[in-house]
Amino acid sequence: MSQTVLPVAEGRHVGRYVVSLAKRYPRMVWGSAALHVAAALAALAAPRLLGDLVESVEKGTTVAAVDRTVLLLAGFLLLQTVLTRYARYLSFVTGERVLAELREDFVENTLALPVGTVESAGSGDLLTRTSRDVEQLGWSVRWALPEWLIAVITAVLTFAAALLVGWWVAIPCLLGVPPLVVGLRWYLARAKDGYLRESASYSVMNASLTETVEGARTVEALGLGPARRARIDRDISGSYHAERYTLFLRTVFFPSVEVAYLIPTVATLLFGGWLYTQGSVSLGDVTAATLYVQMLIDPVDRIVSILDELQVGAASLARLLGVAQVPDDRVATGREPQDERIDAEDVRFSYVDGRDVLHGVDLDVGVGERIAMVGPSGAGKSTLGRLLAGIHPPRTGSVTVGGVGLTELPLTDLRGHVALVTQEHHVFVGTLRDNLALALPEDAEIDDEVLLRALDAVDAREWVEELPEGLDTVVGSGGRALSPPQAQQLALARLVLADPHTLVLDEATSLIDPRAARHLERSLAAVLEGRTVIAIAHRLFSAHDADRVAVVEDGVITELGSHDELVEREGSYAALWKSWQA
Amino acid sequence: MRHLPLDDPGTPDHRSPGKFLLWLMKGQWRTLLMGMVFGVVWMVCQAVMPAVIGHAIDDGIAARDTSGLLQWTAAMLGIGILQAASGIMRHRFAVTNWLTAAYRTVQLVARHATHLGATLPKRVATGEVVAIGTSDLAHLGNAMDVTARAAGAVVSFLVVAVILLDTSVTLGLVVLVGVPVLLLLVGPLLKPLQRRNMAQREMMGQLSNLATDIVSGLRILRGIGGERVFHERYVRDSQKVREAGVQVGRLQSLLDALQVLLPGVFVVIVVWIGARFAVQQRISPGELVAFYGYAAFLMIPLRTSTEFANKWIRAFVAARRVVRVLDLEPEVGEPDQAYPEPSTTADLVDIESGLHVRHGLVTALVSEKPDETALVADRLGHYAPGEVRWGDVPLSGLPRAVVRRRIVVSDTGSTLFSGSLRESLDLRGRSDADLLAALGTASAEDVLAAVTDGLDTPVAERGRSFSGGQRQRLVLARVLAADPEILVLVEPTSAVDAHTEARIADRLVAHRAGRTTVVTTTSPLLLDRVDQVAFLVDGHVVAVGTHRDLLRDEPGYRAVVTREVEDVEEVEA
Repeated sequence: MSQTVLPVAEGRHVGRYVVSLAKRYPRMVWGSAALHVAAALAALAAPRLLGDLVESVEKGTTVAAVDRTVLLLAGFLLLQTVLTRYARYLSFVTGERVLAELREDFVENTLALPVGTVESAGSGDLLTRTSRDVEQLGWSVRWALPEWLIAVITAVLTFAAALLVGWWVAIPCLLGVPPLVVGLRWYLARAKDGYLRESASYSVMNASLTETVEGARTVEALGLGPARRARIDRDISGSYHAERYTLFLRTVFFPSVEVAYLIPTVATLLFGGWLYTQGSVSLGDVTAATLYVQMLIDPVDRIVSILDELQVGAASLARLLGVAQVPDDRVATGREPQDERIDAEDVRFSYVDGRDVLHGVDLDVGVGERIAMVGPSGAGKSTLGRLLAGIHPPRTGSVTVGGVGLTELPLTDLRGHVALVTQEHHVFVGTLRDNLALALPEDAEIDDEVLLRALDAVDAREWVEELPEGLDTVVGSGGRALSPPQAQQLALARLVLADPHTLVLDEATSLIDPRAARHLERSLAAVLEGRTVIAIAHRLFSAHDADRVAVVEDGVITELGSHDELVEREGSYAALWKSWQA
Repeated sequence: MRHLPLDDPGTPDHRSPGKFLLWLMKGQWRTLLMGMVFGVVWMVCQAVMPAVIGHAIDDGIAARDTSGLLQWTAAMLGIGILQAASGIMRHRFAVTNWLTAAYRTVQLVARHATHLGATLPKRVATGEVVAIGTSDLAHLGNAMDVTARAAGAVVSFLVVAVILLDTSVTLGLVVLVGVPVLLLLVGPLLKPLQRRNMAQREMMGQLSNLATDIVSGLRILRGIGGERVFHERYVRDSQKVREAGVQVGRLQSLLDALQVLLPGVFVVIVVWIGARFAVQQRISPGELVAFYGYAAFLMIPLRTSTEFANKWIRAFVAARRVVRVLDLEPEVGEPDQAYPEPSTTADLVDIESGLHVRHGLVTALVSEKPDETALVADRLGHYAPGEVRWGDVPLSGLPRAVVRRRIVVSDTGSTLFSGSLRESLDLRGRSDADLLAALGTASAEDVLAAVTDGLDTPVAERGRSFSGGQRQRLVLARVLAADPEILVLVEPTSAVDAHTEARIADRLVAHRAGRTTVVTTTSPLLLDRVDQVAFLVDGHVVAVGTHRDLLRDEPGYRAVVTREVEDVEEVEA
């Protein structure tokens, strides 16, 4: 496997994207910002009013005056409550909308990825993006970003209010800045990697646990218990090291910011007290200033502690956007195929540079012809099948349908011509109906009768109808488990629904019991009458039934002809046929 | 700090979720206690801060007393530093407590899973156990973590109450009664919020599963052109998640607003009473400021106690799931009285089917229905109940460990584990040469040739980086390398092509020469090479002999193993 990795978007690109998102919903974004500003302003009344109270108490006042001030305090509180409610609500709605758009864009881009890129990058990277990055971003957009913006608004306004009490309040506040900035810079430089390592260590641990649980019988059968326990202890140890590192970061960082918060309050009291003795400020001013400075702690603390969260969120966003930057491996030229003839000429292909797995394959498949490909594992049958289905472009040579290269056709058109079903028995999360409907042509209505007929063609109608919920049965991860043969039947039923002119079947019945497989292939053949079929098979009866058999060995077609011709030729196919019949 | 993971997680009390949580706490009581001590110091520091500020205003500023002001601000600085120091210590102990409980639970579950073995998947869904590793461990950890802050919350609440009562009984009572009342007021909102949150999270989980599906399903989608329909479905579900999120937001924003309003009302009341007292000269201006500070501070213990309740409720739910797994017992128990081990040349006889497995030979089991032969294989390995005699000894009279060591059954569900290829293949400390020989017999040389680092190549989780046929051959190589006395292979070549199957058939018998082997199959390629074939009908052996004998003499057998060929001949005829 080569070391291709999926691209990650650059910082500038991420920034531009965020701005463009905000611009898409100007009313919601600015509306909620305005509401938050108003709510923060309402909150600032309390310290000022309390300062006035202290001042008036010292100078001597009446109970009625106190009551008036307190009533005002209550009024502002009510205002703040109402504003907070709507500000929050609006930002929730905005966040959810932006998030939905983000993940839908991402999924669309992922679905358009070239299969070759996904395979050479390994599934791990993409899996992290579809699961953890989407989730992380959800957390950031739903919670961290609004919370952070609110904190910034509150902090700025509180600081402004403190300055309104007197310009001198700026001095004690500035004293807190150096330790805060130093601590923050040190921490942020290390935090992201530390926390990523930490969460990765839990994924490793969970993977080991899952493997142990899923393979519990194998663990018992092979006496792997001690090895599995040691493995999990080792994973825990790895997680513990990662945890200790981040704990160390916090052990340095937390006290340094707490001291940074403490200094301004102490300094305000000292400085304000001195100014008061000088007669330049009132007692109410000092009180209000002290309370404002204390009020600053909470939003500043939130700004600081959410920063690393945002850092991680931005990194996730960069990875999600990166998927859109993968270059496409197909270029639509707009040429239209003349007919449905599939033609491969001098096809060479490699997954890894310099290691060709196909060495000049020629194959001309007539319309309606049935070709069986046989040969040992690793000979290149599946690769050839994928090229014939237009999954990969050939390195050199050409694979065409009706004279047009398969990778020149847009994906939506391509599948009307050629479709591929492999032995992979992945079942998608959702109902059986959802699983089947994937293959329906554009703007086709989902008609249960059509789906059931397709299931009938692959001998699956019976068991589907026996399920208590029939087509509504939820399958896939977390749903009802289908046996591998059932999953293969489902895949074949999809192929029937997709109804292309040419079908490539790569061991598409390999997991089905031989006798049932034979029956299935025959009922399938009846439905596919007139279609071109290229079947890669490890069971020889499939070869026997075909019009022509292609023996693939070491990346080339070594024998090509009807079953009887090849048996007469006494080559490697004939030898195999004999031993199988013995 | 404690060294983690623990060498031995201990024997848990799994009689009930509560007892399990108590057992966890007992195991780490020292760090829990230290966390609480620091938690109390930390919170009390915060609690007395308003008093210190009040004094600084009264005795320092208002009194124009510079030394008084210096004294009180110095006290403030000192308490602030103590607060920071005890705060970080509390945090460190809390993290230790979290990790200890979480790691210990994972260790316990993993150990119990390996103890249960084949019983586990039969009795509990995999997802249930996996959820322990992904979410329950955090809930258990949180419950331990929160104790330190909860202790601080209780003590600081009492400290503030005493200070307030000391200054004014009215104010003290307002605080003491007001705080719990506030707690109760938010309560009714929490339940529906949690419900909506859970509903959204569940939908998000499903949505995430759908997105994850792309990774494993992209090839399939590309093969049939299902990308567009898939995307439409994703958008539909994504919009549902968005709507659910808006529902959550509706309640959450209400709760956020209430969290402004309720403490605010409390502050207004305290300030109102305080200011009236101040006007009447019953308290000083500085004390008024302090009251404002107390009222604001008390929201912290208030929130902590709500958090404490929530976390412990979740911990109970998590503990219930853990206990349910720990409660399971292996289906195959240990014998009351162990028989002496049978000799290494003893034959194995399955009484129920009448199968006689002769020592040192390769015996093939053939049946019309693969389930029947798989069941016999399970009995031979003592996975399923049944009367099996090994020499003179009933299999059920031997300790499980002995049976597992001497008889290895490789069933169709056998999985590979992640690690290097060497680690995945080598169960019993074999040399590389042995491993390569086993790979050769399993005709898996091409697997090795296709990877870059030979036996050091990493194997992905469950061997996902290999194709189905490659995995099956690696699984076969693994048990061949283990070289057990008796090896039972269930359908070992069902996913490989005819060319490869022919090669495996040629090599398998030579590889197992002198050892006892049972293989269930219907493949003529394999049957032609084995020493003896037993033909089962309805779970009973009806004929024993070589492949060729049975082909000649047993029409039923011929129908099963050559059915494919015969079908072909029918067509030709």
